[in-house]
Amino acid sequence: MTTHISKPTGFLAPAGFVLCMGLCLNMTVLAQSEPAPMQHHAQADSKHCTGTGLECATAVTPAFDAHNNLWLAWVAGGAVSVAHSINLGRSFKGVTIVGSYGELMDSGADAKPQLAIDARGHAVLAYGVFKDKAYNAEVLISTSASIWAKDGPAFTVPRSLSVDPASQRFPTLAFNPDGRLFVTWLDKRTVALARQNGQTQAGAALAYAWSDDAGKTFLADTIAEDHTCECCRLALAFDPERQPVIAYRAIFPEHERDHAVIRFGESGRALPAQRVAEDHWDIDGCPHHGPSVAVTTDGTIHAAWFTEGSARQGLFYARSTDHGQRFSGPKAIGNMAQRPGRATLLASGDSIRLAWKEFDGKRVLIKEQHSTDAGQHWSNERIIGETHHAADHPVLIAHGREAYLSWMTHDEGYQLIKLQTP
Amino acid sequence: MNTRSLIRIWSLSLGILLGAALPASAHAGSTRLLDTGSFAQVRTRYAHKPLIVHIWGLTCGPCLEELPRWGEFKKQYPDMNLVLIQADDAPLDAVRSALEHAALGGVESWSVPSELDEFSRARIDPSWSGEMPRTLLIAADGAVTTVRGVADPARIARWLTLQSVNTK
Repeated sequence: MTTHISKPTGFLAPAGFVLCMGLCLNMTVLAQSEPAPMQHHAQADSKHCTGTGLECATAVTPAFDAHNNLWLAWVAGGAVSVAHSINLGRSFKGVTIVGSYGELMDSGADAKPQLAIDARGHAVLAYGVFKDKAYNAEVLISTSASIWAKDGPAFTVPRSLSVDPASQRFPTLAFNPDGRLFVTWLDKRTVALARQNGQTQAGAALAYAWSDDAGKTFLADTIAEDHTCECCRLALAFDPERQPVIAYRAIFPEHERDHAVIRFGESGRALPAQRVAEDHWDIDGCPHHGPSVAVTTDGTIHAAWFTEGSARQGLFYARSTDHGQRFSGPKAIGNMAQRPGRATLLASGDSIRLAWKEFDGKRVLIKEQHSTDAGQHWSNERIIGETHHAADHPVLIAHGREAYLSWMTHDEGYQLIKLQTP
Repeated sequence: MNTRSLIRIWSLSLGILLGAALPASAHAGSTRLLDTGSFAQVRTRYAHKPLIVHIWGLTCGPCLEELPRWGEFKKQYPDMNLVLIQADDAPLDAVRSALEHAALGGVESWSVPSELDEFSRARIDPSWSGEMPRTLLIAADGAVTTVRGVADPARIARWLTLQSVNTK
């Protein structure tokens, strides 16, 4: 393992700070200092921003805590950092670099660091890092026993989520309403096993694990499904029974990379996968484009996904009122000429919002539609974000009774945009 | 400044020194960083000639499985115009190493300086949503046939044959 010293270029990071490749990475000292608040519209000053600060972030994930603080985890300059805002994203403080990996950081198009905070202030951060020259990856996890601690959240030294030596990528995690932590990821262990046996197996497996102590320890890794696209993010929500619902791009025979959902039974174990739609996207390749899922309180499962299948092409939405057994006919979303994609769904009671990204050749747009009857009827689409340069994928997030668009753009910096109440 | 930035600046300078005015053969080998004008220059250089553009990524499993087949294909069709674009945020030395391993070290090759966004993707192919591998079969008249995912060599061979018939 290489250790090197470099000077952080993010303007919030104190000088004289040792960044390490790999694991010597608990930067709690940062949280003890109180640098000047970051400006709301922190702008990148060059085309290729190389610092680790929020202004250079390419992938940003928001989470609210129980004290109305907005926390962000982001990837920039090969590092994963965390900071929080007491004023709904206008400024951030307590910037903490949790891990720095240089070019080994997974900054792929569909990768985002994952951050979850429970009601008692436990935080869990997870992300992918490449671990060898063959671009095998591992999922690293870091936890904070209390994000409200006087000396800062003190994220632990990141450790590998799984002991399995195969490649792991694209973690997704959340606390369920009971406070149990659920994490799911893409795992190459069954593909590696097939190879050892002289067989070829496409894609990856979908793995999951539960934690009853906010990520300090995990119950056994379990493989839920064995024919999953290896390069698309996973989507996670909880149903009214407080069990996970995962949406993912599966591989149906031969190369059809279409979407499916997996629900979980009362035992907390995965049930057989259910196909969302027959798009027939026959591609031996990486779409780099995962779905979104949400569940309204009536139990309706909502899914949104991108496809270039022979049956349909573009961004689509469907809903299931019978626990995923049957989904409604796919409804086309957005303006196909502007390549809609990167959907994000947010459920609140029986209301559901859908936001997505479009590109008109000059502008990146974020559009939104919403429904107050669990997806039976939808509003007209409207633009809720717009920028003229590179932009992260949109994330919808709820806080109290409000809904927000969390969005990082090259020109405008980080924005938390409040959405109108339907 | 990290090593990768230095490599990039060095490579960028080299690219500027070599320039786009050189004959196509001078662009063979040694992967360079794709900047905003690079792809337009490639298209200009191969204007009125058949061209195959193969887009691949170092973190894309199917791409890595396929890559050596392009090396074999190039041996079979040494005269075809082939340009490679590596489209993951990956270090140049790793890209070059993968190409050498696939017997593609002598082929014109580009690599993106950071993860592609909507703007940079559109400069290469406005209808590209980011999936890989992706191969553009560009005829002498500029007509583009897109192959999504791993390409069938027989299909590429048929297209090449058709191009030589059309240009005779």
